[in-house]
Amino acid sequence: MLQGTLIYGFINSVVLMLVALGFSVTFGISGVANFAYGALYVMAGYLSWLGLHSLGLPYWLAAPGAVAITAGVAAMIYWFILLRVRGLVVSEVIATFGMGLAILELFRYLGFIGFEYTLPPLIDASVMIGDTYVDAQRLCIVGAGILLAAFLWFFTHYTKTGLAFRGIAQDERTALTLGINADKVAAWSVAFGAGYAALAALVILPLGTIAVNEGYNVLVNALAVCIVGGLGSTVGIIVASFLIGFAQILTATYLETSWMMLVSLVAILAILVIKPSGLFGHQKQLEERI
Amino acid sequence: MRKLTCILAITMLISGLLLAPAALAADKIVIGVTTSLNFLEGKEAHNAVNLAVGEINKAGGVKVGGKMLPFVVESIDIRDAAPGVPVPEALLGMEKLILEKKPNALVVGPFRSEALLAGMDMLAKHKVPLLGTIAMSPKTEARVAKNPKYKYVFRVSLDAKYFVGYIAGVMGFMGKEFGFNKVFIMNQDVAWARATAGIMTKIFKGKLKWDVVGHETFPTGASDFAPALMKAKMKGAQVIMPVFDMPQSGILIKQWKAMKVPAVMAGFISPLTGPTAWKTFDAKIGGVVNAVFELGSIPSAKYPPSKKFYDAYVAKYGKPLEAGHGPAPAYASVYLLKAAIEKAGSLDPDAIVAALRATDAPSVMGHVKFTKGNQVIYGKDPKKAALGCFFQWSDDGKRVIVYPPAIAEGKIKLPTGMKAAK
Repeated sequence: MLQGTLIYGFINSVVLMLVALGFSVTFGISGVANFAYGALYVMAGYLSWLGLHSLGLPYWLAAPGAVAITAGVAAMIYWFILLRVRGLVVSEVIATFGMGLAILELFRYLGFIGFEYTLPPLIDASVMIGDTYVDAQRLCIVGAGILLAAFLWFFTHYTKTGLAFRGIAQDERTALTLGINADKVAAWSVAFGAGYAALAALVILPLGTIAVNEGYNVLVNALAVCIVGGLGSTVGIIVASFLIGFAQILTATYLETSWMMLVSLVAILAILVIKPSGLFGHQKQLEERI
Repeated sequence: MRKLTCILAITMLISGLLLAPAALAADKIVIGVTTSLNFLEGKEAHNAVNLAVGEINKAGGVKVGGKMLPFVVESIDIRDAAPGVPVPEALLGMEKLILEKKPNALVVGPFRSEALLAGMDMLAKHKVPLLGTIAMSPKTEARVAKNPKYKYVFRVSLDAKYFVGYIAGVMGFMGKEFGFNKVFIMNQDVAWARATAGIMTKIFKGKLKWDVVGHETFPTGASDFAPALMKAKMKGAQVIMPVFDMPQSGILIKQWKAMKVPAVMAGFISPLTGPTAWKTFDAKIGGVVNAVFELGSIPSAKYPPSKKFYDAYVAKYGKPLEAGHGPAPAYASVYLLKAAIEKAGSLDPDAIVAALRATDAPSVMGHVKFTKGNQVIYGKDPKKAALGCFFQWSDDGKRVIVYPPAIAEGKIKLPTGMKAAK
């Protein structure tokens, strides 16, 4: 049982890391807390499904298409809505949350409810690890998690756009003096975060079904990981994912499965009381010291 | 005096305006369908109502006091099956339809027992009979039997109490045939599923003398069952009894296969009921024993009316029924309502209720009679009572009815690779 718990705890942690990475990247660069993140995740799932089943496209075309469209929609949300309220934190939250609600409820209104909304696994097999069977899709999730985290590091350290991302994240005014277009980079970061959400959806959703409500769950999980790890800190995201991921699986295994959902909420409450900036966050450290 | 005349005139005018819709409504009989229309069971139950209404109207309509009146269907999506939709919101939708469309009766009704229980007072207040076909908590029956004001609430579908009778029969068979006595229960966190799991736990421990090695409850919308399956495997469960009606629950079977849990899956998972589930779940559901709550939602050659309904549905809508709960009783409800109105000879709700309570007639799901709590009696022979059943997915993708014996087409077989305990 312990071995199985450790294996599934590790996989669950990577799932959390995947759903939180995009949210964290967007916030870390542009300062926009994208509350439409869960909706974009679900949208990628439905778009991919539509490509596969309604348009009859092959997976290699439907999946990247869904990622590109999701990123494009996120960029448009920034350009046509968020740009006007940029810097007004409350307005940004209201605007993104409103957009998220509109997207999710539109899918519900259009009748996207049912068990038929599933995505195919990348590898349809089971693997024995020790004495525990694990479906290969979960191993794909682990692989995707490592790849995406590594790509993020590479992208932000060795590409021009990535360096611009970091420039804006470190000091927007100074970056402006160096000729970096802050609005353009912020739009890119929102699209980049949404693209990460879409990629996460493509590898995680084959484990379950695509459901409107999943958008809300993903947002709660992403928020929990980002708040615990510290908004904008990639290292914090990874550490928090593993803390919450293992806590969830241990709760499900040794207590009750229905208590799993409480873990994220308790983690948010606990960290806000103990260290509001999160384990690796720097946003409010000065206020905390005071 | 002039003032009094004026008041009387205004009163008569207002009364006339208020009564006018009722008088106008007398040229048709309005059936309201208030349910979660976007969910499979709600959608197909709505289709089944339209099928029955079409047939009845084509045959001339309903005879009310010497006049033939057509049925008219009015529907509203109350969304109560969706996670997070509060009961008051669902009830607002139901009341909106009652007030605006003035239905003579409602059929199908709420998905969630929580919504039905909360809505019983509203139905009593407006005196609108409801022939429910989805919500399953036995509490409604108890309330109807206890308090006459709730007499307008009928349930034509199976309730949790009868459902456990069928599950107990299936488990009893597996105990005798394969020597199984360890079960792991997994249920959705909704009233009817909790009630089913609770009653079954008592039956397992008492009458069946089985060991309940674990019991997990999942919130509506949950889609990762791996930790619970791991527990079931570690605790040596021979049977896993799922009780779910949410779309995500079909994934449980894929995870059960992927993790190679050596236990028979026998219970109710709504997405696994229809014929297309085989394709949807990548042909990985062979060996699963699943319930169909009402005969007719699956056809049985041993009870021709069920097959006639099923075939008529396929002919009208061009695709097979996928829901195992709701459509057959929804179809039957319209015919029961027709018979009751004709027997009552009027559209008076109290007269319709009295006639419905005296129902003793065959239907597509077996013979229909109501208990004192307005619940259709379910049994094991379709000639004597209404019927629910269990079928097993064969390894080549066929649904084989395995229980009850009166309509069984085969016996329960162990999934490939699993051995009996005796």
